[in-house]
Amino acid sequence: MIFSIVTWLILSCSALELVYLLYLAWSSTRVPKLVLGDVIHFLYPVDSSLLASLVDPAADFELCWNLSPRSFREEQRRRMRLYRELLGRMAHNSAVLAEFDNAMRGNVAGPGSKLQEAAVKVRLYCMFSRGKLRLWLWLPSAFGAVVPPKLARLRIAADLDGLQVYEELKVAAAEAFAQLRPAELEALTHNL
Amino acid sequence: MSVFLRYIPSVLLVLLLFLMLRNRAYKVCPWFFAYVAFGVGADVARFIVDSDQHAYYATYWITEAGYCVLGILAMYEVFRSVLRARSWWTYAIFPVIVIAAVILSLTHACAVPPQVGGLLLYIVTAEIVVRFVQVLIFLGLGVLAAFFGLRWRQYPLGIAAGFGLYATVALLSTIKFSDFGTRFAFLWKMSSVVAYSLTVLIWIWFFRTPREEEPPLDPKLVAHYIAVLEQYMGWMRRMR
Repeated sequence: MIFSIVTWLILSCSALELVYLLYLAWSSTRVPKLVLGDVIHFLYPVDSSLLASLVDPAADFELCWNLSPRSFREEQRRRMRLYRELLGRMAHNSAVLAEFDNAMRGNVAGPGSKLQEAAVKVRLYCMFSRGKLRLWLWLPSAFGAVVPPKLARLRIAADLDGLQVYEELKVAAAEAFAQLRPAELEALTHNL
Repeated sequence: MSVFLRYIPSVLLVLLLFLMLRNRAYKVCPWFFAYVAFGVGADVARFIVDSDQHAYYATYWITEAGYCVLGILAMYEVFRSVLRARSWWTYAIFPVIVIAAVILSLTHACAVPPQVGGLLLYIVTAEIVVRFVQVLIFLGLGVLAAFFGLRWRQYPLGIAAGFGLYATVALLSTIKFSDFGTRFAFLWKMSSVVAYSLTVLIWIWFFRTPREEEPPLDPKLVAHYIAVLEQYMGWMRRMR
Protein backbone atom coordinates (compact mmCIF):
# COMPACT_ATOMS: atom_id res chain seq x y z
CA MET A 1 0.00 0.00 0.00
CA ILE A 2 2.72 2.46 1.08
CA PHE A 3 4.85 1.35 -1.87
CA SER A 4 1.96 2.05 -4.20
CA ILE A 5 1.37 5.53 -2.75
CA VAL A 6 5.09 6.39 -2.86
CA THR A 7 5.40 5.16 -6.45
CA TRP A 8 2.37 7.12 -7.60
CA LEU A 9 3.65 10.19 -5.79
CA ILE A 10 7.07 9.92 -7.45
CA LEU A 11 5.57 9.33 -10.89
CA SER A 12 3.07 12.19 -10.53
CA CYS A 13 5.84 14.59 -9.46
CA SER A 14 7.95 13.48 -12.40
CA ALA A 15 5.05 13.99 -14.81
CA LEU A 16 4.40 17.45 -13.31
CA GLU A 17 8.06 18.32 -13.72
CA LEU A 18 7.93 17.31 -17.38
CA VAL A 19 4.93 19.61 -17.84
CA TYR A 20 6.86 22.36 -16.04
CA LEU A 21 9.77 21.86 -18.46
CA LEU A 22 7.42 22.21 -21.40
CA TYR A 23 6.11 25.42 -19.84
CA LEU A 24 9.70 26.69 -19.41
CA ALA A 25 10.47 25.92 -23.04
CA TRP A 26 7.31 27.78 -24.08
CA SER A 27 7.84 30.76 -21.79
CA SER A 28 11.57 31.17 -22.51
CA THR A 29 10.78 33.09 -25.66
CA ARG A 30 8.19 35.30 -23.98
CA VAL A 31 9.57 36.33 -20.60
CA PRO A 32 11.87 39.37 -20.85
CA LYS A 33 15.45 38.48 -19.97
CA LEU A 34 17.91 40.28 -17.79
CA VAL A 35 19.99 42.52 -20.04
CA LEU A 36 23.58 43.46 -19.51
CA GLY A 37 22.82 47.03 -18.52
CA ASP A 38 20.56 45.87 -15.71
CA VAL A 39 22.93 43.41 -14.07
CA ILE A 40 25.00 45.92 -12.16
CA HIS A 41 21.91 47.74 -10.89
CA PHE A 42 20.50 44.51 -9.53
CA LEU A 43 23.63 43.65 -7.54
CA TYR A 44 23.84 44.59 -3.85
CA PRO A 45 27.23 45.60 -2.49
CA VAL A 46 28.89 43.10 -0.18
CA ASP A 47 31.76 44.49 1.86
CA SER A 48 34.42 41.77 1.72
CA SER A 49 36.39 43.19 4.63
CA LEU A 50 33.28 43.39 6.81
CA LEU A 51 32.39 39.85 5.81
CA ALA A 52 35.85 38.62 6.76
CA SER A 53 35.88 40.55 10.04
CA LEU A 54 32.54 39.08 11.12
CA VAL A 55 33.73 35.50 10.79
CA ASP A 56 37.18 36.19 12.15
CA PRO A 57 37.81 34.00 15.24
CA ALA A 58 40.07 36.73 16.65
CA ALA A 59 37.14 39.20 16.67
CA ASP A 60 35.00 36.74 18.62
CA PHE A 61 37.81 36.20 21.09
CA GLU A 62 38.53 39.89 21.46
CA LEU A 63 34.89 40.77 22.09
CA CYS A 64 34.49 37.95 24.56
CA TRP A 65 37.64 39.10 26.38
CA ASN A 66 36.83 42.82 26.50
CA LEU A 67 33.06 42.92 27.06
CA SER A 68 30.86 41.86 29.92
CA PRO A 69 28.79 38.70 29.25
CA ARG A 70 25.64 40.78 28.74
CA SER A 71 27.32 43.26 26.37
CA PHE A 72 28.96 40.38 24.52
CA ARG A 73 25.56 38.71 23.99
CA GLU A 74 24.11 41.95 22.63
CA GLU A 75 27.12 42.57 20.43
CA GLN A 76 27.00 39.02 19.07
CA ARG A 77 23.32 39.41 18.20
CA ARG A 78 24.08 42.67 16.42
CA ARG A 79 26.85 40.99 14.44
CA MET A 80 24.60 38.04 13.65
CA ARG A 81 21.95 40.31 12.18
CA LEU A 82 24.64 42.09 10.17
CA TYR A 83 25.97 38.78 8.89
CA ARG A 84 22.44 37.64 8.02
CA GLU A 85 22.01 40.78 5.93
CA LEU A 86 25.30 40.12 4.11
CA LEU A 87 24.27 36.52 3.49
CA GLY A 88 21.01 37.74 1.99
CA ARG A 89 22.92 40.02 -0.34
CA MET A 90 25.34 37.24 -1.32
CA ALA A 91 22.46 34.90 -2.13
CA HIS A 92 20.72 37.65 -4.08
CA ASN A 93 23.86 38.52 -6.07
CA SER A 94 24.47 34.87 -6.92
CA ALA A 95 20.88 34.55 -8.17
CA VAL A 96 21.25 37.69 -10.32
CA LEU A 97 24.53 36.47 -11.79
CA ALA A 98 23.05 33.04 -12.52
CA GLU A 99 20.15 34.74 -14.29
CA PHE A 100 22.60 36.92 -16.20
CA ASP A 101 24.49 33.80 -17.25
CA ASN A 102 21.21 32.27 -18.47
CA ALA A 103 20.39 35.39 -20.44
CA MET A 104 23.90 35.64 -21.87
CA ARG A 105 23.75 32.08 -23.21
CA GLY A 106 20.29 32.55 -24.67
CA ASN A 107 18.38 29.55 -25.95
CA VAL A 108 21.50 27.63 -26.91
CA ALA A 109 22.06 24.38 -25.03
CA GLY A 110 25.52 23.58 -23.75
CA PRO A 111 27.56 22.45 -20.80
CA GLY A 112 27.16 24.14 -17.43
CA SER A 113 29.24 27.22 -16.75
CA LYS A 114 31.67 28.19 -13.99
CA LEU A 115 29.41 31.07 -13.05
CA GLN A 116 26.44 28.78 -12.46
CA GLU A 117 28.60 26.36 -10.51
CA ALA A 118 29.92 29.15 -8.30
CA ALA A 119 26.40 30.56 -7.86
CA VAL A 120 25.15 27.16 -6.68
CA LYS A 121 27.93 26.96 -4.08
CA VAL A 122 27.19 30.45 -2.77
CA ARG A 123 23.45 29.72 -2.56
CA LEU A 124 24.13 26.47 -0.73
CA TYR A 125 26.46 28.18 1.74
CA CYS A 126 24.00 31.02 2.31
CA MET A 127 21.08 28.63 2.78
CA PHE A 128 22.84 26.59 5.46
CA SER A 129 24.39 29.61 7.21
CA ARG A 130 21.11 31.51 7.29
CA GLY A 131 19.41 28.44 8.70
CA LYS A 132 21.94 28.30 11.53
CA LEU A 133 21.72 32.04 12.12
CA ARG A 134 17.94 31.98 12.18
CA LEU A 135 18.06 29.24 14.77
CA TRP A 136 20.54 31.16 16.90
CA LEU A 137 18.50 34.34 16.67
CA TRP A 138 15.26 32.53 17.46
CA LEU A 139 16.59 31.31 20.76
CA PRO A 140 17.40 34.53 22.59
CA SER A 141 16.56 33.26 26.05
CA ALA A 142 19.00 30.39 25.77
CA PHE A 143 21.86 32.84 25.47
CA GLY A 144 21.31 33.89 29.04
CA ALA A 145 22.28 30.46 30.24
CA VAL A 146 24.80 29.35 27.63
CA VAL A 147 27.71 31.08 25.98
CA PRO A 148 26.63 32.90 22.76
CA PRO A 149 27.75 31.02 19.65
CA LYS A 150 30.87 32.24 17.91
CA LEU A 151 30.26 33.78 14.52
CA ALA A 152 33.54 32.31 13.25
CA ARG A 153 31.78 28.94 13.23
CA LEU A 154 29.70 30.23 10.34
CA ARG A 155 32.67 30.67 8.05
CA ILE A 156 32.24 27.07 6.99
CA ALA A 157 28.74 25.75 6.40
CA ALA A 158 27.79 22.59 4.51
CA ASP A 159 31.54 22.01 4.09
CA LEU A 160 31.80 25.23 2.07
CA ASP A 161 34.01 28.15 3.03
CA GLY A 162 31.77 31.23 2.67
CA LEU A 163 34.51 33.72 1.88
CA GLN A 164 36.18 31.39 -0.58
CA VAL A 165 33.02 30.50 -2.51
CA TYR A 166 32.03 34.16 -2.75
CA GLU A 167 35.49 35.02 -4.12
CA GLU A 168 35.06 32.18 -6.63
CA LEU A 169 31.74 33.72 -7.68
CA LYS A 170 33.39 37.11 -8.17
CA VAL A 171 36.16 35.61 -10.29
CA ALA A 172 33.63 33.61 -12.36
CA ALA A 173 31.55 36.77 -12.87
CA ALA A 174 34.62 38.71 -13.91
CA GLU A 175 35.52 35.92 -16.34
CA ALA A 176 32.00 35.96 -17.76
CA PHE A 177 32.26 39.71 -18.28
CA ALA A 178 35.66 39.26 -19.89
CA GLN A 179 34.17 36.87 -22.44
CA LEU A 180 31.74 39.49 -23.70
CA ARG A 181 32.17 41.09 -27.06
CA PRO A 182 33.87 44.52 -27.18
CA ALA A 183 30.57 46.39 -27.68
CA GLU A 184 29.05 44.62 -24.67
CA LEU A 185 32.17 45.26 -22.62
CA GLU A 186 31.93 48.90 -23.54
CA ALA A 187 28.33 48.95 -22.35
CA LEU A 188 29.32 47.26 -19.12
CA THR A 189 32.22 49.57 -18.36
CA HIS A 190 30.01 52.51 -19.25
CA ASN A 191 27.49 51.33 -16.69
CA LEU A 192 30.23 50.67 -14.17
CA MET B 1 5.21 -4.30 -34.19
CA SER B 2 7.14 -3.82 -37.42
CA VAL B 3 10.92 -3.85 -37.49
CA PHE B 4 10.81 -0.30 -38.87
CA LEU B 5 9.00 1.03 -35.81
CA ARG B 6 11.16 -0.98 -33.44
CA TYR B 7 14.38 0.51 -34.80
CA ILE B 8 13.31 4.17 -35.01
CA PRO B 9 15.05 4.94 -31.67
CA SER B 10 18.20 3.24 -32.99
CA VAL B 11 18.32 5.57 -36.00
CA LEU B 12 17.82 8.53 -33.68
CA LEU B 13 20.59 7.21 -31.41
CA VAL B 14 22.99 7.10 -34.37
CA LEU B 15 22.14 10.74 -35.10
CA LEU B 16 22.70 11.61 -31.44
CA LEU B 17 26.05 9.81 -31.44
CA PHE B 18 27.07 11.75 -34.55
CA LEU B 19 26.07 15.07 -32.95
CA MET B 20 27.95 14.23 -29.75
CA LEU B 21 31.05 13.35 -31.74
CA ARG B 22 30.78 16.48 -33.86
CA ASN B 23 30.34 18.73 -30.83
CA ARG B 24 32.93 16.84 -28.78
CA ALA B 25 30.32 16.43 -26.06
CA TYR B 26 32.15 13.31 -24.85
CA LYS B 27 34.52 15.68 -23.05
CA VAL B 28 31.65 17.07 -20.98
CA CYS B 29 29.72 13.87 -20.29
CA PRO B 30 31.88 10.82 -21.09
CA TRP B 31 29.64 8.26 -19.36
CA PHE B 32 26.58 9.45 -21.21
CA PHE B 33 28.57 9.27 -24.43
CA ALA B 34 29.50 5.68 -23.50
CA TYR B 35 25.80 4.99 -22.85
CA VAL B 36 24.81 6.29 -26.31
CA ALA B 37 27.65 4.43 -28.05
CA PHE B 38 26.69 1.26 -26.19
CA GLY B 39 23.04 1.82 -27.20
CA VAL B 40 24.01 1.99 -30.87
CA GLY B 41 26.21 -1.12 -30.51
CA ALA B 42 23.48 -3.01 -28.65
CA ASP B 43 20.86 -2.17 -31.28
CA VAL B 44 23.20 -3.29 -34.07
CA ALA B 45 23.83 -6.57 -32.21
CA ARG B 46 20.09 -7.11 -31.65
CA PHE B 47 19.37 -6.36 -35.31
CA ILE B 48 21.99 -8.89 -36.46
CA VAL B 49 20.60 -11.72 -34.31
CA ASP B 50 16.97 -10.73 -34.86
CA SER B 51 16.12 -13.89 -36.78
CA ASP B 52 17.63 -16.30 -34.22
CA GLN B 53 15.33 -16.45 -31.19
CA HIS B 54 17.86 -17.90 -28.70
CA ALA B 55 20.65 -15.59 -29.74
CA TYR B 56 18.29 -12.59 -29.63
CA TYR B 57 17.14 -13.58 -26.13
CA ALA B 58 20.71 -13.80 -24.84
CA THR B 59 21.79 -10.61 -26.59
CA TYR B 60 18.74 -8.73 -25.33
CA TRP B 61 19.32 -9.53 -21.67
CA ILE B 62 23.09 -9.05 -21.80
CA THR B 63 22.63 -5.62 -23.36
CA GLU B 64 19.89 -4.77 -20.85
CA ALA B 65 22.38 -5.45 -18.05
CA GLY B 66 24.83 -3.13 -19.83
CA TYR B 67 22.14 -0.44 -20.07
CA CYS B 68 21.55 -0.75 -16.31
CA VAL B 69 25.22 -0.21 -15.42
CA LEU B 70 25.76 2.63 -17.88
CA GLY B 71 22.41 4.22 -16.97
CA ILE B 72 23.48 4.45 -13.33
CA LEU B 73 26.92 5.80 -14.25
CA ALA B 74 25.41 8.40 -16.60
CA MET B 75 23.03 9.57 -13.86
CA TYR B 76 25.90 9.80 -11.38
CA GLU B 77 27.81 11.91 -13.88
CA VAL B 78 24.79 14.18 -14.40
CA PHE B 79 24.32 14.56 -10.66
CA ARG B 80 27.99 15.38 -10.01
CA SER B 81 28.21 17.86 -12.84
CA VAL B 82 25.29 19.87 -11.43
CA LEU B 83 26.20 19.61 -7.77
CA ARG B 84 29.97 19.98 -7.86
CA ALA B 85 30.49 21.10 -4.29
CA ARG B 86 33.09 18.72 -2.85
CA SER B 87 31.43 18.12 0.47
CA TRP B 88 30.77 14.81 2.21
CA TRP B 89 27.01 15.35 2.09
CA THR B 90 26.99 15.86 -1.70
CA TYR B 91 28.77 12.51 -2.04
CA ALA B 92 26.20 10.93 0.27
CA ILE B 93 23.11 12.01 -1.70
CA PHE B 94 23.62 9.65 -4.65
CA PRO B 95 24.09 6.47 -2.57
CA VAL B 96 21.01 7.44 -0.53
CA ILE B 97 19.00 7.75 -3.77
CA VAL B 98 20.29 4.36 -4.96
CA ILE B 99 19.40 2.75 -1.61
CA ALA B 100 15.90 4.26 -1.77
CA ALA B 101 15.52 2.94 -5.33
CA VAL B 102 16.71 -0.53 -4.26
CA ILE B 103 14.16 -0.57 -1.42
CA LEU B 104 11.35 0.51 -3.77
CA SER B 105 12.37 -2.06 -6.37
CA LEU B 106 12.63 -4.90 -3.84
CA THR B 107 9.26 -3.96 -2.35
CA HIS B 108 7.78 -4.15 -5.81
CA ALA B 109 9.51 -7.49 -6.48
CA CYS B 110 8.02 -8.87 -3.25
CA ALA B 111 4.54 -7.55 -4.03
CA VAL B 112 4.52 -8.57 -7.70
CA PRO B 113 7.26 -11.19 -8.32
CA PRO B 114 8.69 -10.94 -11.86
CA GLN B 115 7.81 -13.84 -14.18
CA VAL B 116 11.48 -14.68 -14.73
CA GLY B 117 14.00 -16.59 -12.69
CA GLY B 118 17.74 -16.86 -12.11
CA LEU B 119 19.96 -14.14 -13.47
CA LEU B 120 17.08 -12.50 -15.34
CA LEU B 121 15.32 -11.81 -12.05
CA TYR B 122 18.29 -9.71 -10.94
CA ILE B 123 18.44 -7.89 -14.26
CA VAL B 124 14.72 -7.03 -14.15
CA THR B 125 15.00 -5.85 -10.53
CA ALA B 126 18.11 -3.83 -11.40
CA GLU B 127 16.26 -2.24 -14.31
CA ILE B 128 13.54 -1.02 -11.97
CA VAL B 129 16.22 0.28 -9.59
CA VAL B 130 17.81 2.23 -12.45
CA ARG B 131 14.44 3.68 -13.49
CA PHE B 132 13.73 4.79 -9.94
CA VAL B 133 17.20 6.34 -9.69
CA GLN B 134 16.63 8.19 -12.96
CA VAL B 135 13.24 9.51 -11.90
CA LEU B 136 14.45 10.51 -8.43
CA ILE B 137 17.51 12.31 -9.79
CA PHE B 138 15.37 14.03 -12.41
CA LEU B 139 13.06 15.22 -9.63
CA GLY B 140 15.98 16.29 -7.44
CA LEU B 141 17.67 18.22 -10.24
CA GLY B 142 14.36 19.89 -11.10
CA VAL B 143 14.02 21.15 -7.54
CA LEU B 144 17.67 22.19 -7.53
CA ALA B 145 17.35 24.04 -10.85
CA ALA B 146 14.18 25.83 -9.73
CA PHE B 147 15.66 26.76 -6.36
CA PHE B 148 19.05 27.94 -7.63
CA GLY B 149 17.71 29.48 -10.85
CA LEU B 150 19.88 27.23 -13.02
CA ARG B 151 19.33 27.25 -16.74
CA TRP B 152 17.70 24.11 -18.07
CA ARG B 153 19.48 24.34 -21.37
CA GLN B 154 22.63 22.64 -20.24
CA TYR B 155 23.73 19.15 -21.17
CA PRO B 156 23.41 17.47 -17.75
CA LEU B 157 19.87 18.72 -17.19
CA GLY B 158 18.93 17.74 -20.75
CA ILE B 159 20.23 14.22 -20.12
CA ALA B 160 18.27 14.10 -16.85
CA ALA B 161 15.10 15.34 -18.57
CA GLY B 162 15.40 12.61 -21.24
CA PHE B 163 15.99 9.88 -18.70
CA GLY B 164 13.22 11.33 -16.52
CA LEU B 165 10.68 11.08 -19.32
CA TYR B 166 11.66 7.56 -20.32
CA ALA B 167 11.94 6.27 -16.76
CA THR B 168 8.52 7.71 -15.84
CA VAL B 169 6.84 5.98 -18.78
CA ALA B 170 8.84 2.77 -18.21
CA LEU B 171 7.93 2.67 -14.51
CA LEU B 172 4.29 3.42 -15.25
CA SER B 173 4.13 0.65 -17.82
CA THR B 174 6.24 -1.86 -15.88
CA ILE B 175 4.87 -1.37 -12.39
CA LYS B 176 1.34 -0.15 -12.87
CA PHE B 177 -0.02 -1.08 -16.26
CA SER B 178 1.37 -4.62 -16.08
CA ASP B 179 -1.53 -5.26 -13.70
CA PHE B 180 -3.78 -5.23 -16.75
CA GLY B 181 -2.36 -8.56 -17.91
CA THR B 182 -1.00 -9.85 -21.20
CA ARG B 183 -3.40 -7.77 -23.32
CA PHE B 184 -1.24 -4.84 -22.35
CA ALA B 185 1.87 -6.33 -24.06
CA PHE B 186 1.39 -4.47 -27.34
CA LEU B 187 0.65 -1.17 -25.63
CA TRP B 188 3.70 -1.70 -23.39
CA LYS B 189 5.98 -2.16 -26.40
CA MET B 190 4.47 0.82 -28.20
CA SER B 191 4.73 3.12 -25.19
CA SER B 192 8.35 2.07 -24.68
CA VAL B 193 9.29 2.78 -28.29
CA VAL B 194 7.46 6.12 -28.37
CA ALA B 195 8.87 7.22 -24.99
CA TYR B 196 12.42 6.20 -25.92
CA SER B 197 12.14 7.96 -29.29
CA LEU B 198 10.96 11.12 -27.53
CA THR B 199 13.80 10.77 -25.06
CA VAL B 200 16.40 10.54 -27.81
CA LEU B 201 14.77 13.50 -29.55
CA ILE B 202 15.13 15.53 -26.34
CA TRP B 203 18.82 14.59 -26.19
CA ILE B 204 19.28 15.46 -29.85
CA TRP B 205 17.71 18.84 -29.21
CA PHE B 206 20.12 19.48 -26.34
CA PHE B 207 23.22 18.26 -28.18
CA ARG B 208 22.42 19.77 -31.55
CA THR B 209 24.35 22.98 -30.97
CA PRO B 210 28.15 22.96 -30.99
CA ARG B 211 29.83 23.23 -27.64
CA GLU B 212 31.28 26.65 -27.03
CA GLU B 213 34.99 26.42 -26.33
CA GLU B 214 35.79 28.83 -23.54
CA PRO B 215 38.73 30.97 -24.63
CA PRO B 216 41.76 30.92 -22.34
CA LEU B 217 41.56 33.95 -20.09
CA ASP B 218 44.29 36.42 -19.51
CA PRO B 219 44.73 36.65 -15.70
CA LYS B 220 45.62 40.35 -16.04
CA LEU B 221 42.34 41.00 -17.83
CA VAL B 222 40.40 39.13 -15.16
CA ALA B 223 42.18 41.11 -12.44
CA HIS B 224 41.32 44.30 -14.30
CA TYR B 225 37.62 43.44 -14.45
CA ILE B 226 37.54 42.45 -10.79
CA ALA B 227 39.13 45.80 -9.99
CA VAL B 228 36.52 47.64 -12.08
CA LEU B 229 33.75 45.65 -10.37
CA GLU B 230 35.16 46.47 -6.93
CA GLN B 231 35.43 50.14 -7.92
CA TYR B 232 31.80 50.23 -8.94
CA MET B 233 30.74 48.50 -5.74
CA GLY B 234 32.71 51.14 -3.84
CA TRP B 235 30.78 53.89 -5.61
CA MET B 236 27.50 52.21 -4.79
CA ARG B 237 28.51 51.86 -1.15
CA ARG B 238 29.24 55.60 -0.93
CA MET B 239 25.96 56.46 -2.63
CA ARG B 240 23.92 54.59 -0.02
